[in-house]
Amino acid sequence: MKIAVKYCGGCNPTYRREEIEEVLKKHFQIFYSGDSELLVCISGCKKGCAGEKAKGNFLHFDEKTDEEEILRRVNKKLSKEI
Amino acid sequence: MMTGKEYIESLRKYKPRIYFMGRRIESVADDPISAPHVNAAAMTYELAHDPRYEEVMTAISHLTGEKINRFNHIHQSTEDLVKKVRMIRVLGQKTGSCFQRCVGCDAMNAIYITSYNIDKKYGTNYHERVREYIKFVQKNDLMPAGAMTDVKGDRSKRPSQQADKDMYVRVVEKREDGIVVRGAKAHITGVINSHEIIAMPTRALEVDDKDYAVAFAVPVDAEGVTMIFGRQTNDLRRLDGDMDCGNAKYATVGGEALVIFDDVFVPWERVFMCGEYDFAGELVEVFATFHRQNYGACKVGVADVLIGATANVAEMQGIAKASHVVDKITEMIHLAETCWCCTLACSYEGYKTPSGAYMPNPLLANVTKLNITRFPYEWSRIAQDITGGIVITLPSEKDYKNPETKQLIEKYIKGVAETPTEQRMRMIRLVENLSIGAELPESMHGAGSPQAQKIMIARRGNLEMKKELAKVIAGIKEDEHFKKMRGVSEKEFFAKLK
Repeated sequence: MKIAVKYCGGCNPTYRREEIEEVLKKHFQIFYSGDSELLVCISGCKKGCAGEKAKGNFLHFDEKTDEEEILRRVNKKLSKEI
Repeated sequence: MMTGKEYIESLRKYKPRIYFMGRRIESVADDPISAPHVNAAAMTYELAHDPRYEEVMTAISHLTGEKINRFNHIHQSTEDLVKKVRMIRVLGQKTGSCFQRCVGCDAMNAIYITSYNIDKKYGTNYHERVREYIKFVQKNDLMPAGAMTDVKGDRSKRPSQQADKDMYVRVVEKREDGIVVRGAKAHITGVINSHEIIAMPTRALEVDDKDYAVAFAVPVDAEGVTMIFGRQTNDLRRLDGDMDCGNAKYATVGGEALVIFDDVFVPWERVFMCGEYDFAGELVEVFATFHRQNYGACKVGVADVLIGATANVAEMQGIAKASHVVDKITEMIHLAETCWCCTLACSYEGYKTPSGAYMPNPLLANVTKLNITRFPYEWSRIAQDITGGIVITLPSEKDYKNPETKQLIEKYIKGVAETPTEQRMRMIRLVENLSIGAELPESMHGAGSPQAQKIMIARRGNLEMKKELAKVIAGIKEDEHFKKMRGVSEKEFFAKLK
């Protein structure tokens, strides 16, 4: 399962953004560009810069989220795509 | 785009003439005095390759369509202006210092905007030269230093009135193939580890000052360019190990130098203003607006590090839960985020210039910088308050590493049981680095001293409009809306009430 990750610039994050990616890495193959089944946008705050221009099948995280919830949302998106 | 490592390597190919403490710095990349400043600038290159930061660190060039480092970008929207300050805050956080590259970015943007206006009035072709020069900078991912401040001599006199005519950089010869310039620029940030120098006038000029209306670019190792690297408080601590510096990797502020142009030849394709004295003031104002915009971002990024250091010290000393400490650290955050509000506001309120490039709102950019001449003093005061007197009495790294005194320091400089003494010492040194020494005067004078901002704020604050508002509210001038709302004039309305 190919998942692309796109970060915001991280100027004033309210949580450690990398936590989201660390969870994804445990379960999926992560890419930073190119084709993927799902684009996961990771913003550091509710301004949500990472998701502003996202198109297609994407998911947006803008706050600290636990592993279970991350996987639930990703799997839901992926199952819809399938 | 170059990586941080490639940038450091690229500096070794240049041979600038740099002096410090009576000796020549042969390699800025390797000399212990300049290397930390090089590391800070290298971060601007490195983060452009990190997916966690590339959103703010990179842009698409409107000149070539290529992906470039944002520091070499000409802002094409208010979104670009906002991304610039987001990038700058991140870099302040990552280096806890000045990463120097914003000055060249601002110089390129200011010259891009002003050269267009000069051409429009005089039919010159500066703008095309600027575009070609910026393409060259973008293609090679170079770091130009912006050089504005002249040494000025007698401040009561204009450039052409000075006893020594070289107190402001000027054109001493015009040739078929270019110009020859002479003079000196003071406190030029990052210039010793830049690839290029972009020089601009430092003030508004009059017709007699025509020779001083000159903007140009030269490589840092152009013949006739000499740099004298300035001293900083505690700079020689860099030779004593890493602990006493507080920030040994990235140093304190940008590392400034006096740059002397001793009859330097500049080919015409690198001359962007030559004699158009009536545009010198505009160029200064546009550059200052860009540069003052930055300070609400870089200093806030550095404040993020200082706030973190102060909170860590509080924990290491067992006072983190004291209510006054919590309150003071919250105050530090409030002060920093207030400055952040300013820089975002001046960016979002930016506008398109006739050249197509965007610039920030000048009034709000000046307000941003004026706050930066004040608030860092306050957040530094709090940091020193919480850290305690040890911020200036801590034993040295050499004593800590001396077997005869190490155990004594381990025992008596210890804070809470779970924190090793060395960690507490390192954190205290970081507070010292960020709140004492070069950091504060740099906040005061970098991008212009407070009075420069006051002048701009006074000029753009529209005091006449405010006076009119007061006259209407006080009943001295007619209130057109009141009359419409009440159907009668104020006089008639209040006469009826009596």
